[in-house]
Amino acid sequence: MRSRRTFTKWLVVLGALHTIVVCAGFFAPYDPIEQDRKNPYLPPMQLHLMDLQGHVHLRPFAYVLKLREGTFDQYEQDTSQPVVVKFFKSGAGYRLLGFLPSRKHLFGSEETRICLLGTDAYGRDQFSRLLYGGQISLLAGILGAGCTLFIGLFVGSVAGYFGGWRDDVLMRVAELFLALPWLYLLFALRAFLSLSVSPLKAFFLIVVVIGGVGWARPARLVRGVVLSAKERDFVRAARGFGATDGYLLRRHILPETSSVLLTQAAILVPQYVLAEMTLSFLGLGIPEPVPSWGNLLSNLQQYSVLVSYWWMYLPALAMVPFFLGYLGLASSLQERGEAYKIERRGPGSLT
Amino acid sequence: MRIRRANFVSYRMLSSFFLLLVAFLGHPATVWPQQKSVKDESLVLPGEVGRSGGRLVVSLRGEPKTLNPLIAADSRSREVIGVMQADLVHINRATQLSEPALAKSWKLSADGLEYTIVLRKGLKFSDGQALDADDVVFTFRIYLDENVHAPQRDLLIVGGKPIVVGKVDAQTVVFQLAKPYGAGERLFDGLAILPRHLLEKPYQEGRLGQIGTLATAANQWAGLGPFRMKEYVAGQRLLLERNPYYWKTDMRGNRLPYLDELVFLFVPNADAQVLKFQSGETDVISQLGAENFSVLSRQQKGYTMTDAGPGLEYNFLFFNLNDAGEKSSLEMRPKQKWFRQVKFRQAVSAAVDREAIVRLVYQERGSAIWGLVAPGNHRWGNEKLAHSPRSLDRARTFLKEAGFSWSNGPAGESTLQDSYGQPVEFSILTSSSNADRAKMAALIQDDLKQLGMRVQVVPLEFRSLLDRVTQTKEYDACLMGIVSFDADPNSDINVWLSSGGTHLWNPSQAHPATPWEAEIDRLIEEQMSARTFEQRKKLYDRAQEILAENQPMIFLASPDILVGSKNSVGNFHPAVLEPYVLWNVEQLYLKSLPAIGTR
Amino acid sequence: MRFFLRRLRHALFLLLGVSILAFLFTTLAPGNYFDEMRLNPQIAPETVAALRAQYQLDRPLPLRYASWMNSVVHGRMGFSFAYNTPVAPLLFARARYTLLLTVTATLIAWGIALPLGVWSAERFGRWPDRLLSWGTAALLVIPDLALALGLLVLAVRTGRFPTGGMTSLEFERLSLGGKLCDLAWHMTLPVVALVLSALPLLLRHVRAAVVGVLDAPFMLAARGHGIPRRTLLYRYALRAAANPLISLFGFSIGALLSGSLLVEVVMSWPGLGPLLLESILSRDLYVVIGGVLLSTFFLVCGNFLADIFLYWADPRIRTESGAR
Repeated sequence: MRSRRTFTKWLVVLGALHTIVVCAGFFAPYDPIEQDRKNPYLPPMQLHLMDLQGHVHLRPFAYVLKLREGTFDQYEQDTSQPVVVKFFKSGAGYRLLGFLPSRKHLFGSEETRICLLGTDAYGRDQFSRLLYGGQISLLAGILGAGCTLFIGLFVGSVAGYFGGWRDDVLMRVAELFLALPWLYLLFALRAFLSLSVSPLKAFFLIVVVIGGVGWARPARLVRGVVLSAKERDFVRAARGFGATDGYLLRRHILPETSSVLLTQAAILVPQYVLAEMTLSFLGLGIPEPVPSWGNLLSNLQQYSVLVSYWWMYLPALAMVPFFLGYLGLASSLQERGEAYKIERRGPGSLT
Repeated sequence: MRIRRANFVSYRMLSSFFLLLVAFLGHPATVWPQQKSVKDESLVLPGEVGRSGGRLVVSLRGEPKTLNPLIAADSRSREVIGVMQADLVHINRATQLSEPALAKSWKLSADGLEYTIVLRKGLKFSDGQALDADDVVFTFRIYLDENVHAPQRDLLIVGGKPIVVGKVDAQTVVFQLAKPYGAGERLFDGLAILPRHLLEKPYQEGRLGQIGTLATAANQWAGLGPFRMKEYVAGQRLLLERNPYYWKTDMRGNRLPYLDELVFLFVPNADAQVLKFQSGETDVISQLGAENFSVLSRQQKGYTMTDAGPGLEYNFLFFNLNDAGEKSSLEMRPKQKWFRQVKFRQAVSAAVDREAIVRLVYQERGSAIWGLVAPGNHRWGNEKLAHSPRSLDRARTFLKEAGFSWSNGPAGESTLQDSYGQPVEFSILTSSSNADRAKMAALIQDDLKQLGMRVQVVPLEFRSLLDRVTQTKEYDACLMGIVSFDADPNSDINVWLSSGGTHLWNPSQAHPATPWEAEIDRLIEEQMSARTFEQRKKLYDRAQEILAENQPMIFLASPDILVGSKNSVGNFHPAVLEPYVLWNVEQLYLKSLPAIGTR
Repeated sequence: MRFFLRRLRHALFLLLGVSILAFLFTTLAPGNYFDEMRLNPQIAPETVAALRAQYQLDRPLPLRYASWMNSVVHGRMGFSFAYNTPVAPLLFARARYTLLLTVTATLIAWGIALPLGVWSAERFGRWPDRLLSWGTAALLVIPDLALALGLLVLAVRTGRFPTGGMTSLEFERLSLGGKLCDLAWHMTLPVVALVLSALPLLLRHVRAAVVGVLDAPFMLAARGHGIPRRTLLYRYALRAAANPLISLFGFSIGALLSGSLLVEVVMSWPGLGPLLLESILSRDLYVVIGGVLLSTFFLVCGNFLADIFLYWADPRIRTESGAR
């Protein structure tokens, strides 16, 4: 079926993108926290195949960037110093997948640093930071989404299956959660945490808090599905045969929710990655010097960076394939769910 | 016969003409610079003579909360109040010296305990009511009243006792101090003289805090500043109009201010200020960061950007030196052992790359500092203080002398550890809203990594930060900055004194915790009462030396004052003291008035 | 009728619960309004302590809650430390401006999303629909912060739009028509930012809902009867798909006060957003609690209205709640 093909296609695309991020140590040429104070805000290095005399080289090369006289941050290419790009070069050490020590990088160069996406205010290579940052941000998104879906599944199925006062109470609590000033709670939480908790751990705690807050909407969706599934013929039949609540939930009703959950997962992960960016905007994100996508883009809040250093936008472009991948996955899942729909769903189930 | 009569006639004509000439010359509106008639004494300001008319638009980062000096606690309110009120003696922001303002002259008694101040004659508030000594006495009474809780009260406590104010006659007031005050008449700068006719009734009814809000009708509020309230549009702007009774004139006798209107536009942050200035909606901009300054300097279309030179801000790193005794947590105790060693702090100071901070954070528009007195303060800096350059070797020597050593980890990195073998790890707090200090913290983190210290940078929201530093005292190190509001050392007195609230590494002590802090206390108290500049400077120099020897604050850098103005703004002379651009607002004028309706 | 009373009771409990929790949270965060004065070298700690006592910040929590409740009943909603005025007039003045922006943006967004969503659902699977899906996905990915900033830069570069604010300096001197024009000109960029950030989600939901209905047997029957296309789409399909859309509309109403905070802050629009953000940062407690309560009130109203509409529009709900 066409929808199955698209689903597999998106899965493959996402898988490839995630592999690159997971193996960031190999794909990134430099250490993401290494500062180079002599070269702040370096523009991206242009790779050439053809030199000034018109000869074509097989190996791409770049020119060293020198500071223009009298300016602080305007660079120009020094065409007298070509630098050849070497592949599978050995450089700074890292641990592939967290435990395999290795020194090989995809590309690098002897004389100078090849900064494909330029550098930031401290001279750190943006390309390396983008790849390593993806590890943190995607993990945060997946963790947050997992939290939300777990709580949403539990609450929604209890509310939908048992109905009555449990349903009322849980839905009112959901509304309460939607209404509260979470900004304040986040500030309070951040300020309360003992300083000896590493900032990274503090961040993940905050992510879990967001995940623990956003369960209201998935809970409603799950509740809708459970409500309609409860009245289906095969469930009624199973109950007539004497099945217990637990059995019904486990074998018949919860599997119905799988498509909703998967779709929600595919929508929530990019949303939570964006939430991490908003947290960075408010000063509650990942602290220095660890890179994350939110960090990289929060530089753009400053007007001077927005108008002077165009390459700081590029990380946003790099995120787009990830987000589109997730959204494509989500819509192909939705299409699959709709294509297999046989009976009409009950009222209120789409909410 | 005829000739004699003609002579007689012409003699009379000549003499009457002469009389007329004398009368004409005596008339106040002549071209020659002279004082007005005896009834009306105004202050004549030297400088370029401008033209009258026009409107100046200035952006304000945030909103002012009130127009009442008694409750204004935030800097925006103070900025607005500054152009609407006037003081007895004013510090000229350009020369950093005190000048007569509402006071025509003052005399200090021989024992230094009594100031006799003579007011100008003919002063009027912006609503036309006359000012006399009763208003001055009333104003100081409210400032000193304990039930009013005015922020100005603490400024008027000299030698432990509040100043006593007395009226001598309608133009003369006498102030009595318990001890001589070294800074002298600078005490009066910024203390606005309030209108008794508007405040007396609310004061007796106890409602002083409720008047002077922004919603007050324009005719219910008055001041002595160059501008008075015209209109307030909530959340957007404040419109001020010229005070027709202002008591300053220019060299030609024209009454100041030149501008008809002054508008404060409220914008949310610094970047919005830059946007407004670039699009031409505002005429001047100040308190610029270095990066925004570069952006604006790139294409100067119709405006000029100025670097006014080093200012009075100092940024520093300090460690938690509070002695909490038993209350300190188990984690804090070993860390405080490190922090208390002078050599540890000196090592950190030697390892910090100040030059990189000035280059990367301030884009060379700043200076490295090694002491509290920033380069913008011409008179009070101690020139003999060493400005030692960055040296990791010296830092390592200090650490070795203090008993620290290095161990090599498995991945090749070396970790610093103390004499018990515990690795040196701590966190630096910084305010999450200040991008410059966050950058400094990141640079210092990398610098200290080279010494083997593992430092975490923890950005906290400002109030949480203050709470940790001043209340709960649960932190390791912190990076902060302070802007002195006056060049005189007394403006930073709460930083120097061990009992001071801004003595940040160990605030509000009951007794000085260390001998050198006790010595600094003694020196500062002495210079507060010293009578001559030379005496004070000697004592202050010694205090700065002690601070440099003990390094409770590791000073980092001080930014320049960066401002900009449209080319059409005349008399634009930015100063390095606040308010940087509007300190001479009464003399600012527009060189060419824009056509009506273009803005 | 019982249904409505029950909902009303729930709403009141919700408001009460939110007010208590908001009170708790605001006291959890360390620091208070007068902390900034502590750093001012001119002000002694005793003055700060006296001010705290004057504003009753040292009293126990239940007492403060009780006196705040009292002031709510009298229509003042507490006292703002920063502005030194009662909170209620401050909030209502700003809420007006926020509503101006968000109501316009919501109407425009729904006005675009409904026809566009139906159009796209009709062409489900074909390339116009796919193009629209990609477009909305791209918009969904851009955070509204980046959108607002981008629009601002556009304003500066072209010089055709104001760089923030609600009215020009000469506003009071303009005629009525001039005032409306000036207001509309200032509203353009914030409204565009809000519409662009709300549109993708709305479009997706409208499209999904209508697509779900288009295959239904009754639609097939209606088409067989020869009913014209437009009537088919709007009177039959949209009505049937209205259920989730009404709930979504309820959410839209609920978010009227709170959804535009970021855009207002970036574009200097004098609404509730900048006031609340600054009050949160400066710990002006009662303004924050009042703002939270106001937002909750709108949320509750929105849900309430959605439930009423749903009850009226969808007969299936009526039978189900009757059967309960």
